[in-house]
Amino acid sequence: MSSHQGHILTNFDDALSQIKEATIGMGAGAQRNLNNAIRGLIERNKSLCDTAIADDDDEDRSEVEIDHLGMRILTKYRPLASDLRMVITSMKIASHLERISDQAVSIAKRSRKVIKSPEIKDVLKVEGFYKVASSMLTNAITAYADGNSELALSVIEEEKPLKKCHKTTSRVFAKTLEGESEHYRDYLDLVFICRWLERVGDLAINIAEEVVFEDTSTDIRHGRELPPELQ
Amino acid sequence: MQDTAQSPNQQDVNSTSNTKPEGKSMIEIDDLSFSYDQGKTNTLRNITLNVPEKQVTSFIGPSGCGKSTLLRCLNRMNDLVETSRITTGQIRIMDQDINAKNVSAIELRKQVGMVFQKYNPFPKSIYDNVAYGLRIQGIKKKAILEEAVEKSLRGAALWDEVKDRLKDSALGLSGGQQQRLCIARTMAVKPKVILMDEPCSALDPIATAKVEELITELRQDFTIVIVTHSMQQASRISDRTAFFYLGELIEYDTTEQIFTNPSIKQTEDYISGRFG
Repeated sequence: MSSHQGHILTNFDDALSQIKEATIGMGAGAQRNLNNAIRGLIERNKSLCDTAIADDDDEDRSEVEIDHLGMRILTKYRPLASDLRMVITSMKIASHLERISDQAVSIAKRSRKVIKSPEIKDVLKVEGFYKVASSMLTNAITAYADGNSELALSVIEEEKPLKKCHKTTSRVFAKTLEGESEHYRDYLDLVFICRWLERVGDLAINIAEEVVFEDTSTDIRHGRELPPELQ
Repeated sequence: MQDTAQSPNQQDVNSTSNTKPEGKSMIEIDDLSFSYDQGKTNTLRNITLNVPEKQVTSFIGPSGCGKSTLLRCLNRMNDLVETSRITTGQIRIMDQDINAKNVSAIELRKQVGMVFQKYNPFPKSIYDNVAYGLRIQGIKKKAILEEAVEKSLRGAALWDEVKDRLKDSALGLSGGQQQRLCIARTMAVKPKVILMDEPCSALDPIATAKVEELITELRQDFTIVIVTHSMQQASRISDRTAFFYLGELIEYDTTEQIFTNPSIKQTEDYISGRFG
């Protein structure tokens, strides 16, 4: 977008800015909800978990709003080329963000259960994994905001470290679970929480792939070839 | 728009993509420059592109970019302008230089028909309109004419609407029907190429849809070149699209490529409504 001059129809520019800003805002909301859910777990703060669950409604509303905005732009202005890709990408990213917020809700609900039980120190092991997934999400949203497919590619390249981190953390919890009788349910919840964090990382990769499509018009999903400028 | 748009970037203009697509070409335009004022200024400059056989090719660009001028070069309609001339290059249709001394414009136009922006049926019956070109060619047998009229009207998706009133005046038809009648009239003489200069600009959306549907079907038998100001129309009906600006060909590629990911910024700025 930044490399182009404005449209003759200034309302078209306004509408494109509106959908972009709404999507970036929704991204910030999804990050906040995830952060509240994990902090609720780590800091044993039920109120933060409740906030993450309650704020998911905002994300749902944002998704619907972005879809409506996108459809309005498609019917009113009939965008083409990079404009078309921007609108389609924003609508798809909104859907990924809504699902990320759903993962945050799942994490928050399990966290409320975990923090009801006596404290277990192993909970802190989730934090390292969270940082990996959260950093991927932040970079994916930044890449979308800046139209930066190189940054998006760096998110996609985090897939292996994400899987490795998930495997390592889950294995620790699963192993402990086998020998635990008192906290076995908490450890089971932590295994699930890790699974949802991994899903957040996967969805961040999906967002990054959309950014590459928007920026280069190349669909790289499902292992398709990268555009020459990113190889 | 021409007055306010910026000048084309020379580097971009030189990088027109894919001007000679694979497959058999019906029309080959090679380094064509054209002037309306005896060569003082060139309205078209160094145009090179090949139009593939039995495909629909759209010419797009802002008013004054030369797309209609180029279209009219293809059946020598510009011969009617006394001061006009081709200053460089050549146009070949079916491997024949159409401006060679031994090629008559009248014979050329039998092979290269044209449909205009404003439908222009003759003030005659529907039947006589379609039969007109054949009669000019000296065909008088009723059976042959009737067969050709029915075939052309069917080809133009008009037969069912007019078969019971072939002797009625063509001027009593709706605008969309009149335009399809003009297409039928063009088809009757069995040209190889049909040129269309904004054929739907005077039609309502339903009539436009019918003409677009017809164009899509006609590609099976004809090579079609269409000038249009509607990006949506170009993207709906054409296989290839050429973008012109200030008399130069800026980009020529598959329609999908032009409308989803054009190679040249100027093309993108134009199709996305950023010229200004």
